[in-house]
Amino acid sequence: MDKFFKKNLSVISFIFIPILFLWHPNWLGIMRIQPYWPLFWLLPWSMIYGPINGLIVGLFLGIILDSISIGGGFTQIPGLILSGIWFGRFTKDNNTLVAHFRYGLLCAIGSFLCGSLYSLQFFIQDSPDNKLLLFFPSVKNVLAQVFLTGLFAPLFCSQLFGLFKRSK
Amino acid sequence: MLKIRRIYNARWRHKKKKGILFIFLLFLVFVRFSKGSLYKDFYYYISKPFWPGQFQREVISKSLDQEFLIKSKQLEKDNKRLRELLSLQRLSDSDTISAAVISRKNGSWWRQIILNKGSKDGVEVGSPVIGPGGLLGRVKSTSFLTSSVILLTSPESKVGVWIDRVQTQGLLVGTGNDYPKLIFYTKDVDVKVGDFVSSSPASTLLPPNIPVGIIQSVDKKSNSKKTVNVLLLGKPQAIDWVQILKVKI
Repeated sequence: MDKFFKKNLSVISFIFIPILFLWHPNWLGIMRIQPYWPLFWLLPWSMIYGPINGLIVGLFLGIILDSISIGGGFTQIPGLILSGIWFGRFTKDNNTLVAHFRYGLLCAIGSFLCGSLYSLQFFIQDSPDNKLLLFFPSVKNVLAQVFLTGLFAPLFCSQLFGLFKRSK
Repeated sequence: MLKIRRIYNARWRHKKKKGILFIFLLFLVFVRFSKGSLYKDFYYYISKPFWPGQFQREVISKSLDQEFLIKSKQLEKDNKRLRELLSLQRLSDSDTISAAVISRKNGSWWRQIILNKGSKDGVEVGSPVIGPGGLLGRVKSTSFLTSSVILLTSPESKVGVWIDRVQTQGLLVGTGNDYPKLIFYTKDVDVKVGDFVSSSPASTLLPPNIPVGIIQSVDKKSNSKKTVNVLLLGKPQAIDWVQILKVKI
């Protein structure tokens, strides 16, 4: 049983991402905006298992997160899929400092991609009257999320990377 | 330079984990079709020890005072204006369900709260949710034990509201920040900062005269419409207990 848990720790940890998404700890955010949690899991996973697995897991994550958030016709799937594929093209750097910096940078860019694609759906689907009203709040949300995701990525990704490596 | 993975090695897929993968896929399908109810119910249990207590009066007393003042004024006016229409909807205690907020997402795009009452307790999709101060949002989906509420600040929220001073209706649209916009589809509305906003008597989504907010600022006039920023009276970031109204509009 212990061996089973150790081997499948990465899959088990996947199950808890939506819980974190629901928990939404405000004390970790800025202006009540949170880091984009799924990327912290997606980045080490994709770096270890490659772009195709990144795509598949990005899709899975998107499906689950769309299910638990009130999103109407909007979806997080495209951003997560693209991030998964892109993250899969990189490997871990041996230099710890560079590796940590890379986690931060990649997650920040991934967060920008996911946030922009999500905002874009508002602009495409919403009525022309509301497009302008949504523009500035969307920019603020994207930038705050990018900053926070980049800031916390080295901390979470390095831990998860080690965990995934051990359970591989 | 970032080292690019040139040869992709799909070792993970080639391992004999098809059984686990199949179960996992089934799980995903289930989550998708149940709209995440499994997660929400699971979250209900693991968050139970952390549910809010009843010691938040200090935080919300200001909102409460405002609400009572505005409400009493509104009711006084209503009594005069609608004396002959006493058959209007009235809410008694049995028409409300008290619920605790067990998950709160009030930043970024996803502005929702999850309550610890679900279809088991008779919560219905579309029911208005009010907290100290006024309207917070509407129930968007329910699971057996929980219900998800879309907040007025969510970009998907659009409700009809009423400015009593000028007897005008407008559309309150969430924009993804803390100040939803109120749109009047005529440029000649004489609204001022400080005007009280309540739910519209003509709304098909909400009961009339629920306090919503106060006009905070008026945007520059455009050709065909006028937009104003609304400061909401109900503060989802500070509220731990809410009331779900069981009313048929």
